[in-house]
Amino acid sequence: MHDDLLAPQPSRLDRRQFLTHAGWTGLGAGALVAGAGRRRASAQAKPSYPEWIAASTSPPKRGGTLTRASAWDPPVIDPRLTQSVGLYQFAGLVGSRLVRYRFPDEVSGPADLSLKGDLAESWQASPDFRVWTFKLRPGVKWHNVAPLNGREFVAADVKYCFEAYAREGAQSFTFQEIEGIETPDKLTVRIHLKTPNVLFPQNVAEPITVLFSKEVLEEDGDLKKRMISTGPYILKEHTRKVRVVLARNPDYWDKGRPYIDEYVILSTPDAATRMAAFRTGQSEIIWLASPSEVETVRKTNANAVVHAYHNSLAPFGVALAQDKPPFNDVRVRRALSMAIDRQKQVDTVFEGHGILGWGVPYVYYQDKPLTAASFGPWWQYKPAEAKKLLAEAGHPNGFDTTLFYYEYFPQMTSQVQLVQQDLKRNLNINVKITKLDYTTYYGRYVESKWDGMSWGFQSGHAIGLDERTYQYMHSRSTKNFFRVNDPVIDELTTKLRQTPNVADQRAITKKIVDREFDQVLRMWMPYDNGFMVFQPHVRNAAAGALRRTDGYGSSAIARVWLDR
Amino acid sequence: MYKYALRRLLLAVPVLLLSSLIVFGLMRVMPGDALTALMGESGNIGEKELAKIRKDLRLDLPYHEQYLLWVWQMVSLHPGDSIFTGEPIAVSLAKAVPVTLELAALAMALGLVIAVPIGVLSATRQDSASDYVGRVVAVSGLSLPDFWLGTLVITFAAIWFHWIPAIGYVSFWESPLRNLQQFLLPAAVLGFRLSAATMRMTRSTVLEVLREDYVRTAWAKGLEGRIVVYKHALKNALIPVVTIVGGQLGVLLAGTVVVETIFALPGMGRLTVEAILFRDYPVVQTNVMLVAGTLVSLNLLVDLTYAWLDPRIRYQ
Repeated sequence: MHDDLLAPQPSRLDRRQFLTHAGWTGLGAGALVAGAGRRRASAQAKPSYPEWIAASTSPPKRGGTLTRASAWDPPVIDPRLTQSVGLYQFAGLVGSRLVRYRFPDEVSGPADLSLKGDLAESWQASPDFRVWTFKLRPGVKWHNVAPLNGREFVAADVKYCFEAYAREGAQSFTFQEIEGIETPDKLTVRIHLKTPNVLFPQNVAEPITVLFSKEVLEEDGDLKKRMISTGPYILKEHTRKVRVVLARNPDYWDKGRPYIDEYVILSTPDAATRMAAFRTGQSEIIWLASPSEVETVRKTNANAVVHAYHNSLAPFGVALAQDKPPFNDVRVRRALSMAIDRQKQVDTVFEGHGILGWGVPYVYYQDKPLTAASFGPWWQYKPAEAKKLLAEAGHPNGFDTTLFYYEYFPQMTSQVQLVQQDLKRNLNINVKITKLDYTTYYGRYVESKWDGMSWGFQSGHAIGLDERTYQYMHSRSTKNFFRVNDPVIDELTTKLRQTPNVADQRAITKKIVDREFDQVLRMWMPYDNGFMVFQPHVRNAAAGALRRTDGYGSSAIARVWLDR
Repeated sequence: MYKYALRRLLLAVPVLLLSSLIVFGLMRVMPGDALTALMGESGNIGEKELAKIRKDLRLDLPYHEQYLLWVWQMVSLHPGDSIFTGEPIAVSLAKAVPVTLELAALAMALGLVIAVPIGVLSATRQDSASDYVGRVVAVSGLSLPDFWLGTLVITFAAIWFHWIPAIGYVSFWESPLRNLQQFLLPAAVLGFRLSAATMRMTRSTVLEVLREDYVRTAWAKGLEGRIVVYKHALKNALIPVVTIVGGQLGVLLAGTVVVETIFALPGMGRLTVEAILFRDYPVVQTNVMLVAGTLVSLNLLVDLTYAWLDPRIRYQ
């Protein structure tokens, strides 16, 4: 999935915003460079790439520098102030968390979302799941940089950091769930929650919950200037819009790791330049959206390793003002859903390499991705039935509505236009589209007072089930941007937080998803399955189930090594 | 001349004041603010908390107070800090301005090196093959957008030569060679575009001057062609060219964003556009005023250059 979901990408889109509609793009470089080749390639059989790349069995080699041209820049390096992938493309390497999801080299497939200790060796809950006790790993040291100078990491550090997160900033929702924190000894943290939550460890395993130090915050008043933590890398340089350089932390608790001496992230906002950088060896990892882009790269880099990962969810869908007419009528929502040809979007916009779109990661309730049939009746493309249903809802002649969106990636505009076309042709619904810039879009979308429709999102960073269910769907959650207000969903998501048994959790999650599909509470849209492409000497850099190693899953870079 | 210059400088004050009002007003008219862009995304920030942060940043003040505060900061040469990054604006500018200046200067130099000789050649050999080639080059420069040319250049450099300029800006003082490598292609792309208008203007003005009586006299005196063209004709033909070049320099300072983006250069263009998108009011306002001030100064400089080029011109 795109790890850049909520990251402002001014530069990547600036150019497009300036120029896309000038009509040059289609005639320009892409067509000249890739067009002829693509036509030739499409006549041949499509190459297939592995969906999962297992960890290398060779003994890892130490040393070297890994370089990556990145689309993103950190807006700020204070983790309290942003959830931008620009920061978390490296914050997970500089910082640590209490617990973490397993790295790709520790699992046998992308569906494994089990937790492992990061700075916590073990953790357990009280019988009512309101108190969580974390036993910290002994001997962990802060980076050997002033003012920390390699002092020992202790329980009081966790208490300070979590309390600071709860006080203010973009991470506060997660930490305001905490009623109080005790530190009975220097290696024990006891967290009291306001309400029971069996999924709490997942929340502190999210990539955005990196631990920071008291000393830096108190000396500087904020965390905008320095990032010092306990992770496998030390932040050596951060020059805005130029580069981030991470140097290996020699005192990292996990002896022998990380393998690479330096990780350099070069700010490269233009997609063509990132591709050129990969082709010329200046960049060793690249994310590509489409099969044709992969084919283009492989023309000059035949040995590049391609990982065709599959998404576990779609982050974007049509959000409806379902608390107001006409969208408060479930028949209208169902009619709209049935009038949209999602498969056409997958086939045309994503060149067949995409998913139909759903919001809760399927790995939490079934073993395989959803098929078209498994969505239920309201998600099948049936224009005639859709029209009939809309007429039953009192709109035989359709109606006028609006849709606003921000173009996160170029294909999104095509999707929006296809939806507009489907709704007009099949239901006589006139959709007036407004394309907004990032800040205007956000301001309007998260305020949740808009009418009509929006191309909605759910946050890109989250892995946990609690985040994907309760936090995005419960009617009282501030992250409920799709304006879901369904008593059944409220009850199920709350119950899920109180259900420790994994099998039971899966059953409840399935009920939540079924309810969502039945009521068309969030009208998900197709999304791409991307490609991670590596230079042939890069080992163990494959993407995980929900995380790419170039984005929010950056902490997995600690397991990458270079075989040259 | 001094009086003229002083009068022009005084006239610059209302121009700059008007510019400041326009940019201040436009930024406030745009929906959302930096806090929305920075933290609104998380959905974690309550209205109360946002209001508190806005108060801390003085974004809750009435507009006229915000404006006066900003003008005072500008006048006292302390433009404040970026709302978005917290970095002092002076520091951001100190990093971005040299990049854009270097790019602009190199592009201008390359543009002139291409434009003036070809323009003169086109004029002196009017309607010949070389004139047609020169005119085609000029029209190409005017027609091909920077983003297209830049993308082509970088893509084909990668495919054909397996080389592109090193990504990750390095200043001239750190490594002159690497720095020049990084700037050569973007400057050529920009310079090619700039050269087009200059080339056409050079051609037409040289053509015009070549038909003047004094040039005919020079020919009649039996002067060598090179001396007639370069010593007598070109200098007088340059006044409109200088006007164009002056204007282009201003455009360069404000309009390099596309080339900076393609070639990953951290200049003024990227800084300003990012600030606009994130509603970083003080950064946008300061950048716009810097560009406005530079344009006003350049225009004055261009006007003063006329007298040097043509001693008949008097300032009143």
